[in-house]
Amino acid sequence: MGEAPQYVAARVQQALAEDARTNELGIRVDIRGDQLFLRGQVSEPGQRDRLGEVAHETAPALHLHNEIRILDASAPGEDEHLD
Amino acid sequence: MSTLTDLRIAAVGDIHLGEDARGHYRKRLEGIEERADVLMLAGDLTRHGTLAEGRLVADEFRDLPLPVVAVLGNHDYHSDLQHEIAGELRDAGVTVLDDDWAVVECGGTKLGVVGGKGFGGGFAGKCASEFGEREIKDLVRHTRLIAEAWQVALKEVQADHRVVLSHYSPVKETLEGEPLEIYPFLGSYLLAEAVDTAGADLILHGHAHKGSEKGMTPGGIRVRNVALPVIGRAYAVYCLAMNGE
Ligand SMILES: [Fe+2]
Ligand SMILES: [Fe+2]
Repeated sequence: MGEAPQYVAARVQQALAEDARTNELGIRVDIRGDQLFLRGQVSEPGQRDRLGEVAHETAPALHLHNEIRILDASAPGEDEHLD
Repeated sequence: MSTLTDLRIAAVGDIHLGEDARGHYRKRLEGIEERADVLMLAGDLTRHGTLAEGRLVADEFRDLPLPVVAVLGNHDYHSDLQHEIAGELRDAGVTVLDDDWAVVECGGTKLGVVGGKGFGGGFAGKCASEFGEREIKDLVRHTRLIAEAWQVALKEVQADHRVVLSHYSPVKETLEGEPLEIYPFLGSYLLAEAVDTAGADLILHGHAHKGSEKGMTPGGIRVRNVALPVIGRAYAVYCLAMNGE
């Protein structure tokens, strides 16, 4: 019997948070069958790649789908008036 | 439209700059002095809280053409180098708050900024209390002492406007989008209670990357979650009417 997918997902999420290469807390990890999905957003493509790397190392048997989005926060937005 | 009588506060948190990001954020700040009178950084400026990252952040904000006020976040504490990182930021001209206050002269007015990292514990009715194991009591006590320090600072600070700058959230509303189970790790109502007691014009925080931008304390003070993934832009700008309410 394989390990329940919930525990594997929890371990991947823990690794993404604790691995010094990533230290990323807000990534959603889902496992369906042998597919591993990463979702969330980060600001650097390099960070997205590292998250994929750490996830793959933690669960090498699963097929990884790195669906993390890159946040483009280059322009300042509209002002809000608080009165 | 912003008018001359508005105090314009630019704010962002959770920029999480790592070594590969040198110069990236600075570029986004071009022209900020035309859009805002002051810039506030709501913590989690680094990824791992290393000194190298702290220096990089300091360089990104060094000698900007407007005052910069910052608090640190939990990531900036990760390597136990929070004091060193704060030192680097201060050397770069950034005012770093650590449960105290500062007055910034900007936009022709005196802006009092109070705050620090803040801490968690949860929200009224669904929170930890100072009971039981030492570890739980320590956690709640830590937040309570922070809240008390902010309340004192808000009463002490002499300024025309008062803004609270935090990393952790004082309210649940700006956490909307985060899983309910982790709310106690995202903030504490004790922070809101302290600010409601002493009064302020605005509370800014970060930390909840999947939360929502806008909320309010039970006392009606506006709360804004300025975590970069939440605001989705280089910084948000909030305008306070100068002549008050
Ligand atoms: Fe963060
Ligand atoms: Fe944080």
